[in-house]
Amino acid sequence: MTLAAAFLGDARERLLPASIPFRYFAAAAGFHVMAWLALVAGADDLPGFGGGPGPVLAALHLLALGVLVMTAMGASYQLLPVATRRPMPHAGLARTGFWLFAPATAVLSLGMLDANPAALHSGAGGLAVGLLIFAIVTAANLRRAPAMPVMAGHGWGALAALVGFAGLGLVLIADFSTGFLADRQPVVTAHMVLAAFGFMGLLAFGFSHILIPMFVLSRTLPVWPGRLELGLALLAVMLAVIGALRASNMVLAIAATTGLGASAAYLWLMRAAFATRMRKRLGLSFVLVRLSWGLLIAALLTGLAIAAGAPVPNGATLFGFLVLAGWLLTFLMGILQRIMPFLASMHAAGRGGRPALMSELTARTPLAIHAACHVCALVLCGAGIVLGAPLAVRLGALAGLAGSIAFALFAGLVMLRLRKS
Amino acid sequence: MNGGPGKFWRADDGVHVDVRGLQPPEPMVAILARLERPGEQGPVIVHHFREPVMLYPELAERGWTWDIVAGDPGEVRLVLRRAK
Repeated sequence: MTLAAAFLGDARERLLPASIPFRYFAAAAGFHVMAWLALVAGADDLPGFGGGPGPVLAALHLLALGVLVMTAMGASYQLLPVATRRPMPHAGLARTGFWLFAPATAVLSLGMLDANPAALHSGAGGLAVGLLIFAIVTAANLRRAPAMPVMAGHGWGALAALVGFAGLGLVLIADFSTGFLADRQPVVTAHMVLAAFGFMGLLAFGFSHILIPMFVLSRTLPVWPGRLELGLALLAVMLAVIGALRASNMVLAIAATTGLGASAAYLWLMRAAFATRMRKRLGLSFVLVRLSWGLLIAALLTGLAIAAGAPVPNGATLFGFLVLAGWLLTFLMGILQRIMPFLASMHAAGRGGRPALMSELTARTPLAIHAACHVCALVLCGAGIVLGAPLAVRLGALAGLAGSIAFALFAGLVMLRLRKS
Repeated sequence: MNGGPGKFWRADDGVHVDVRGLQPPEPMVAILARLERPGEQGPVIVHHFREPVMLYPELAERGWTWDIVAGDPGEVRLVLRRAK
């Protein structure tokens, strides 16, 4: 395909070097293992977890920052320039951001084990700069996406939430050392809402408008239900933050109900994509994606029940687990196992010659092991939280650890095969 | 025309698929829908607004090859053929 260069111009520039997104995905696979390992260590503390330093807090941030945000960054850097049809500005910043964000995640998480001030402050500083770089690059990409208003709207909402959760995170870190907050809990809840629903949730919803139709090969999704879903999702996040900061269960209940409305609109759109899909066999990745959607609804119903005063045993911990490990982790693992061989094949094709097939780049056995272990981990940890049974949590975390090792093997095989292709 | 996204016509050099003006992922859907029609052997000439990098994995998986050829200004034109 030697003629390509004569006609493509900036089209080639949209394809970042494979090393940029794959370094984020590889790091996510590594932090995934560390997150479950930390939870094995902190299994006794999880059912009644109420915040504070220790292995559970470290596991929480290894998962949220190391797996969820890391994956979102890698996917955003790769997909937004292709989706917006514009070359990525400041590609070098994506590399710099990684070398700040990944070590800082490890340092912050280590600091959370024993509230080590030096590790907490240096980790938080690195994360703040890494997130700022991501925000700058993503904002530059979103400004160039006028033809994709729904996805761009989710992106802008996610960036606003990023500013909020990072700012509140820095406040909480400072409070570890100085104890200036009279009551940490409202700030902790608002930080969690902004990070999980505001940042990750809006990115997951927004990218679904592009990725799900692309993977199932469906028609483009209609815009007005997308705008409705976006509006409801933004409203739900804002109400949840207000409810958290005011410690108002009524506002939190309204936020959960609004979130259920946003989720209903989102799932209606996903159903519309499935109804027009060309690809009939969607494989294991979509088993996980569908499971994650069910767990999103379960999480919001749990949150609504807690806000309404229902006696849910260890309800706050259960809610957090359902949101982070149930919905977001399951969704991203489903997407990641589909997108990694796809991007690897795309990059291999870009080099010319016979491209490596997606089916040759993937590794089915590790993925099957991961899926089985992941579901076991969700069931056992969820039951352990509700029953206050640390043994069940530990067994679940061990299952999660085994699954994460299998997933890391899959990620390693994909990258090895890409290098050889 | 088959009611799906994109414009189609047959000419001496093969079946033409014009996906310019479609929103992602409809260009990919329109092209793959054409390739999956029973008996379609190509060549299929694609008129695109950019190099469809995300299409390549799907083409390779289905046993099709592609070449980029000269097109109109602002157009990326591909010729798709079944791999031998």
